[in-house]
Amino acid sequence: MKLRILLADDHEIVRRGLCALLQKREGWEVCGEASDGREAIEMAKQLKPDVVILDIGMPYLNGLDTTRQLLQHDPQLKIIVLTITDADQVIREALDAGARGFVLKSDAARDLVSAVEALQSKRMFFTPRVNDLVLRGFLDKGHAISRNEPPDLPTLTSREREVTQLLAEGKSSKEVATLLNLSTKTVETHRSNIMRKLSLHSIRDLVVYAIKNNIIQIQTPSPITSSTQSPLA
Amino acid sequence: MELVTAMLVRILLVDDHPVVRQGLKTLLEGRPEWEVVGEASDGVEAVEKVNALQPDVVVLDVTMPRMSGIEACRLIQQKGPPREILFVTQHDSPQMMREALAAGARGYVVKSNLARDLVEAVEAVSQHREFTALARNSPQS
Repeated sequence: MKLRILLADDHEIVRRGLCALLQKREGWEVCGEASDGREAIEMAKQLKPDVVILDIGMPYLNGLDTTRQLLQHDPQLKIIVLTITDADQVIREALDAGARGFVLKSDAARDLVSAVEALQSKRMFFTPRVNDLVLRGFLDKGHAISRNEPPDLPTLTSREREVTQLLAEGKSSKEVATLLNLSTKTVETHRSNIMRKLSLHSIRDLVVYAIKNNIIQIQTPSPITSSTQSPLA
Repeated sequence: MELVTAMLVRILLVDDHPVVRQGLKTLLEGRPEWEVVGEASDGVEAVEKVNALQPDVVVLDVTMPRMSGIEACRLIQQKGPPREILFVTQHDSPQMMREALAAGARGYVVKSNLARDLVEAVEAVSQHREFTALARNSPQS
C-alpha cells in the first residue's frame, strides 16, 4: 500500500519542488496539496493521509496551530514541519505541538525524504540543531528543552489563537466571523477576551504579540543590497 | 503532416533554495525543447555559470546571499554578449521591476503566480520579447 502524503505550503513553486522530491520515491504518493492551514485540516479529514508536511508560516492558520488541531483529531498522525528558522522557541513550540519531524526549508531538498522515511519507521527526524537542543535540555535539566523565555501561548485557547492570527493578518471581525463560521458578536467577544488576557490595547499590540509568538511570520523580502536571506525572495 | 522546428533553449536556473529550483524545473519540464543546463544558488555563482555554460535564458531570483540577482544581471550583461534574463521573485513591486529591467532583464514575474506565468515568460524572453507580470496585474508581453 502506498504511503499517502499531504503537503501544505502557501507557495505553489515550493509545493511543486516538494512534490517532485517526494514522488521520486516509489511507493509514496502526494495525495493532496493545501495552501494554508485551514485547507490542510479539511483535506486531512477527507483524504486521511499517513504523513502531513506543513510549512510553519502559512496564512489563515499557521503550521503550528494546524499541527495541534490535526493531532487533536487524529493523535496518530505523523507530522513534519517545514521552517525557515530553527530558533529555540520555534523548535520548542513545534515539539510541544506534537510535530515529530522538523526540516529547515533551505535543507528540504536534502532532508525531506529522510524525514518522511524516519516517520514511516516510527522514528523522529530533526535537524542537527534540534538534536543538540533536545540533548542539551535533557542533560541540563532532565527535561526536553530548557525554557529561557516561556511563550505566552498557553493563556489562549485554540480558537483564540485562530482569531488572533486572522486579526493580526488584518482581517475585520466580520471577515473573521465569516471565515470561522461564527457570528460577528462571538468574534468580538473572543477579541476582547484575547486583549484582556494578554493585556493588549490595540491591534498593533496584537500584531506584535502574534509575531513574537510565531502565530504569524513576516516574509517581507529583505532589501536587495543586503546579504541577508529572506524566506523565498 | 506539419513539420515544427523547435529551437532548443538552454536555461540556467538561479535561486538560493534548492526546493524552489526543483519546482522551477518541474514547471519547465513540459517543454521538450527547453533544457535546464545548470543551476546556481547565488549571484556570484550565476555570473560564473553564465560564462561557463553560455545559456540562452537565465531565470534569476532577486534576493540571494553573496550577490543579489540585480547585481548579477548587470555584471552578466556588462561582461559578455547580451543574455535573456527573466527575474522570478517574491518582490511584488513596480519599483523593483523597473530596477530589474534597467539592469538588463527582459522579463519579471512574481513567485506567487509562477504556475500561470513561468512558461509563457520563458517563451517570451527566449524570443527576445519583454514579459512582465506583478501579482495583481495581467501579464504584459
